[in-house]
Order: sequence, then structure tokens, then C-alpha cells
Amino acid sequence: MAALLLVSVGGLPLLLKDDGTAKGLAQILLTYTLSSITALLAFFTLWLACGTLAKDVEECQMQMIVVKPIYRWQVWIGKWVGIIGLNAGLLALSGLAVYAGLMWRAHRLPPAQQQILRSEVLVARASARPPVKDLQPEIDRAVRSRIGGVRATLTPDEKMAMAKQVVSAVIATNEEVAPGNAREWKIDMSHASAAARNAPMQLRVKFHTSGLNEETTYDTLWLIGPQESQRSQLVQQSLPAESFQEFDIPPGQVSDDGTLTIGFLNRNELPLLFPLDEGVEVLYRENTFGINFCRGLAIILCWLGFLAAIGLATASFLSFPVAAFASLGILAMAAFGGTLKSVVENGTVASWDAGASSFGHSVLDFAMVPMFKGALEVINLVTTFSPVDYLSSGRSITWQDLGLAVAQIIFLLGGIFACFGIIFFSRRELATVQGQS
Amino acid sequence: MATLLDQTETAPETIAKGEPIVTVRGLSKIYKDFWGRAKARAVDNVDFEVRRGEVFGLLGPNGSGKSTTVKMLLGLLYPTKGHIEVFGHSPRHVATKAMIGYLPEESYLYRFLDSHETLDFFGNLFDIPPQERARRNEQLLEMVGLNQVRTRVVGEFSKGMQRRIGLAQALINDPDLVILDEPTAGLDPIGCREVKDLILALARRGKTVILSSHLLSDVEDVCDRVVIYYGGRIQAMGTLQELLSKPDAVRITTPPLPRETMDKVLRIIRDDVANAKIEIDNPTQNLESYFLDVVRKAKENLAETSGATSGSRVAAYLRGDAETAATPDRILDRLTVAAPAAPAPATAPAPAEKIDQAKLQSLAQTVPSAPTPTPKPETAATPPADLSKANAKLSSLLGQDPKP
Repeated sequence: MAALLLVSVGGLPLLLKDDGTAKGLAQILLTYTLSSITALLAFFTLWLACGTLAKDVEECQMQMIVVKPIYRWQVWIGKWVGIIGLNAGLLALSGLAVYAGLMWRAHRLPPAQQQILRSEVLVARASARPPVKDLQPEIDRAVRSRIGGVRATLTPDEKMAMAKQVVSAVIATNEEVAPGNAREWKIDMSHASAAARNAPMQLRVKFHTSGLNEETTYDTLWLIGPQESQRSQLVQQSLPAESFQEFDIPPGQVSDDGTLTIGFLNRNELPLLFPLDEGVEVLYRENTFGINFCRGLAIILCWLGFLAAIGLATASFLSFPVAAFASLGILAMAAFGGTLKSVVENGTVASWDAGASSFGHSVLDFAMVPMFKGALEVINLVTTFSPVDYLSSGRSITWQDLGLAVAQIIFLLGGIFACFGIIFFSRRELATVQGQS
Repeated sequence: MATLLDQTETAPETIAKGEPIVTVRGLSKIYKDFWGRAKARAVDNVDFEVRRGEVFGLLGPNGSGKSTTVKMLLGLLYPTKGHIEVFGHSPRHVATKAMIGYLPEESYLYRFLDSHETLDFFGNLFDIPPQERARRNEQLLEMVGLNQVRTRVVGEFSKGMQRRIGLAQALINDPDLVILDEPTAGLDPIGCREVKDLILALARRGKTVILSSHLLSDVEDVCDRVVIYYGGRIQAMGTLQELLSKPDAVRITTPPLPRETMDKVLRIIRDDVANAKIEIDNPTQNLESYFLDVVRKAKENLAETSGATSGSRVAAYLRGDAETAATPDRILDRLTVAAPAAPAPATAPAPAEKIDQAKLQSLAQTVPSAPTPTPKPETAATPPADLSKANAKLSSLLGQDPKP
């Protein structure tokens, strides 16, 4: 395990060549190394958690423990704390090595790239987005007007399909900036410190088009700052579609009431669609990279704690190999979160029926869809945190994020597995197996 | 500094001598498969009590239910039916476990800990203060003869050494109830004797010992009362004296007597007893033969057992043509030999030989020159030197002066 971690933190950055840019360096050193460390420690944690309890039961050492005056929940929690302690040590050492490697590699970049690195990656940037408009009334009106006239002639499936189309159309209308048209977003920056407001910020945008060529770039013209003020500045950028793009916006553009106004003019021949949730975002400096990095590692440790709870819970009533496979099965289910999501959205596990232009139905829907919905909720509670992505893009992981991760991943989900595990373990007969030692 | 005795005195339970420490009523245990179907009835409607200060033996062949009973007493298995109380509580009562020491039938210790770490680990589970723990560790390692190999990991130990460190961990908390499962298995004769001395010393201190074994000599040497298991049921229970004595006959054991004295005694006896009812033999009845008899009767009654059974014959492909009548060496191996049709085992007590007048005459003549018979040692007759040695060792462990 230590050797694999050593390869991850030492060997991987040497094997992978960056493109000489700050972004490339961050991609390699943070994304690859932290992802591989997380994967290795996750596998190690599951294996160790299943092994430490199941093997102790199978080899009968547990018989020597539980005849002593300690409760079985103490044994279970003790195992969990031990695994977490070991993981914390390994993660701290690995993280330190990654951090040192990053600083060393950053020092070798050209000065301009170093500056970009320090302003866009080796920093903790908070995010501000325009308020999300409530589209529900508009959607309701559109659905009523489009379906109302033909309601009697439509089957329930047809009604559902048409409703979905109407919803998509309403959303697209609100995302769209037609050729020659402008759009204005007002972003509340009142929660940013005065220093942050007056420091350089980045605008992070993403848009879709109907253009098919992925290499095409689109001419975008941005007016940053209060429209009526002389302070506002024009920024012109040629940007590709379908991916996140960042560019600097001049400092001092936030108005006295804490609002940052961003105007956009579409000078292309195609409409551009800015997604409501992630189309426009302002990033501003909030904290140092070191603290952010530690908080990111802490969230990874929360994941490992959750995995340890899964491993111990399965080992509380299963033998070692079965517990290991059951734990991996739970992880595999998390990996298929996209499938679960589509089942929940479609309301059926049946596939698309091209002839009927709708999804079929299955007798399993009654049980499977609610179960998938529950599983998806659980998965979302864990995967909503993306420390590696955040660190590699210089995004701030706040104390609030960390607290939420601890609450959701450790106390809620880990606690559920811990309760099941402790109950099973406390009720289990521990001398039904013969010793193998 | 607290001593082991202090801890005993501050234990939550105060139990008068002779009061039941362990009570078992109607205890049954049925092992089930994954689908809940009964696989084996390991223990079947067992009742017994173990009183404070007793050395109580659980005897039986492999698979007769001894270890299952022990594990139910410890809360490692749950009864299918019946009731168990240990110190007045359920076996799963956590605080009660502070008064119990357990040596399992195998070494279930962590292989990568050395002797000292092992004892420290288990001592820590009893929440013994570090200094006191260190003191006990030293004394226990000295007692079990492992102080010279304290830095070797337990996984490198021989089986005998593992038994010794296992015994030491069972005593780290100075338990009021010591449950020993095959404590002498794997020990050399000296180690066996030391373990037996230790058990006797513990009993003298008012400790209660439950000894599960199929080694009859172990049980015979140290136990006050025994139960004999077969097929999950108690086939016999009582003190050794009760089980081994024959109430319808009287045996007088004396040193060798002159011929005249023998004649006088016989003349007196013949006044009250018919000559045909007088038997003269050497005292051959012992626990071993009694045990064999109990199990033979159980087999004749077709009692089922969930444990291992074996035949008296070696597999044909291994026997070849040179097989002779099976004469198993181990007592318990013989228990599984089909008894009724076979002649009595070689070591079973021979039928008392009725001696006619001529033979009596001959015997009387040879008595003076016969070697002095060795009387069977009884528990109470254990040489004082042995007990005082064990007592001194235990007292040393406890930091107390040996009791007179």
C-alpha cells in the first residue's frame, strides 16, 4: 500500500508530462495524483475494514475480545477509529508530498504561467452566481396552453412527453441569447470582502450552441461593471462552446451596493445558450491554497470514513470475501449513478420504445423506481462534494462545505451504516466458526 | 498501589462461599443452517450449578457439547432454549465479564504481538492502570515461564508456549471465575502439573474454576465435581467420590498384611458374609473406567451425538493385511468403538476375580513379598509440597504472603 502511494505521489507526476501551462500542471499534479491517492486509499480502506472485523471473527481473536468487559459497539467504533487514524496519517503524508511536488514544479514554470497558477489554481476562490429565476409559473402557463387544447386526445404517456418538451422549451428560452441580442446578469457580491471586491476576479462561463464543430470559437463581448458608470469596461473574448472558460475581469467593478453587473452581446450568427445553473459564475479570491488543500483532504477523509463504515457494516454479519464483494457492490452502484438518475427521471426501468416514442413500463417499476430514487439520494449526498475538481480549478472549499461533508457523509450516511453494523455485530454469535489460526 | 486482591474485593458482587456462581437450567443449543433448519443438537436440556470455590469439570468426548456449553456461559453463543446465569446476570452482561477469565481451546491471540504486548493489550481491556498492568505482566510472564521470550511475537511460539501466554491473559484480571477449555493441551508434563497446581491454588483462594477437558487425568486431579457429557446431554454428574464409589460393596485397603492376620480377617468376615460374596482384588476402579462405562451405556441407549465419531478400524487401503485387533491408545478414541458386541477394552476394569480357598491361600502366602501397592493419589492427598509451591507462586503474583 505504501509502495503504491509512493508511486502515485512520486512516480505519476514524473511519468505524465504537462503542457507547460499552469492549467496543465494543475491537471496533472492535483487531479491525477489526488484521484489516484483517493482510489488507492478507498480500496485499501474497504479491504482493511472488511478484513479487520471479519478476519478477527473467523480466526476467533474476537472471542478473546468480547469476553472482556467492553461493549461490542466499542469494539466496532474502535475498529472504525483505528482505520480512520491510519487513513489520516497516510493521507496527510501523501497530501504533503503532492503539495511539495506541486510547489516544486510550479517554480519551474515561466513567470507568466506562475502568475496564472497563483491567481487561478494556487488559490482558494469563492464563487458567486446570478440568482436562479423561478421558472415554475412560466412552465405551468406554457404547459396549460400547449396541452390544454388537446388533453382529451392524448394518452398519459403522450401528455408526459409533451410536458417534458414544454419544460425544455421554456428553459431554453430563458437560457438563450439570440444573435445580435444582449443579456444582463446581476450578481450579488455583498458577501465578498472589500479586498476581494477590489482584487482581480475571473468570469467563468459555459454556453451551448447548435454548431457542430467543436473547434469553432465564438466572438463574445462582455460589459463588466455598472452600465451607467464610466467604470464599466468592455472585454472581448473568443471562446469555444460546451466547456467552461475563464478570463480575468478588471478589479473595482462591483458597485457600492455590492452588485456586479455583467452584460453580454451575442455577435455571432447562432444563438448561444447559457445554462441557468452554471452558465455564468464569478470567482474571487477568498483564502490561501494551503488551507483549501487541507480542507479538500479532509473531505476525502470523510469519504474514506464512510467507506470504512460500509466495510465494517458488511463484515459485521458476513465473512471476509463476501463482505468485500458486498462493499464493492455498493461502490459499483454508486458508480452507476447516471443510470439510476435516468431511471428516476423516466419513472421506469424499461427502455425507450421507438415505435411508441415513449418509455415502456415494467412490473418492477413499483419497487425499483422508489429504491433507485432512495439510492440516488444517498449517492448525491456523497458525490455532491468534489474536492479534487475544486482544488484543481482553484475553487474554495469552505468550512461550511467541510462541515456539511462531515454531517452528511460521516454522521448521516456513515452513522446509518454504523447503526446497522453495530446492531448486527452485537446480536451475532461469534463462536459459530472454528478457529483457523 | 492496588493489588489483584483489592480489585476482587471491590468487585460489584459479593457472593458468599458456596453460593451458585453459574446456574444452568434446561439449556439447549441447536445449530442451524442458513435457512434456519436444524443441523445439530449440540446441547440438549442440560442443568447444573457451579458454586463458589469449586473446581468444576466438564468431561466428554469431542463434539459432546462441552465447548458449546462453555461458549454459551461466556455469551459467545446464544442458547436455543434454557436459562444461564453467571454471577446472577446474563452471560452478555458486560460488567460481569470483569470477573471472568477465559482460556479457549486454541490460541486465538494476535500473532504479531509479543508476550508483553499481548498481556498489556488484554490488561488494557480490563482498564487496569498502567503501572499495575506492568507489574502483573511481569509476574504472569514469570509464572508461565515466558519472561525470557517476551519480545518474540506470539505467532512464533510453539503450541505449548501459546497455551502458557493464553493462560496468563486469562488471569490478568485476577478473575473470580476462571473458565479453562483444555488448559493442558500442548503442554509438557511439567507444564501440565503447573497448570493443575495453579488451578488448585486458585480454588484455595475461593476462586471458581470451570475446567472443560477430555483428558481424564486433568479432571481427576483437580476437580471437585464433574459432569460427563455425551451427545449433548449430561450422562452423569456429581463429586468424584460419588461417581466412583460402589455403595453396595465395601473395600478395605491396607498395607500388606501377614498371612495370619489375613486369615483372621477372613474368618471374621465369613461369619457375616457368604464366602461366594467375598472378593479380593486390587482397587482398579477409576475415573477413566467409569467414564468409559458411562459413554458405553449412552451408546447402548442410542444417544445421538453431533460430534465426531470414528471407528476402531483403520481405513482398508491403509490397513493392508497386517491388521490386528484395534487397541487404541487414547481413552476417548475407544469411546467411539462399537462397544456392545466387542470384548471389553483392554484397559477397562477386569471383572473381579472370585478367589477360591486355594487361591486365597496362595495369595496370602505371596502378600508379604509382593511390592508395596501405590495408593491412588486423591485430590485431598496431594503432596503438601506441591500445593505450597503453587500457593507461593500465586501469592507472589498477588503480592500477598502465602496463606498457611
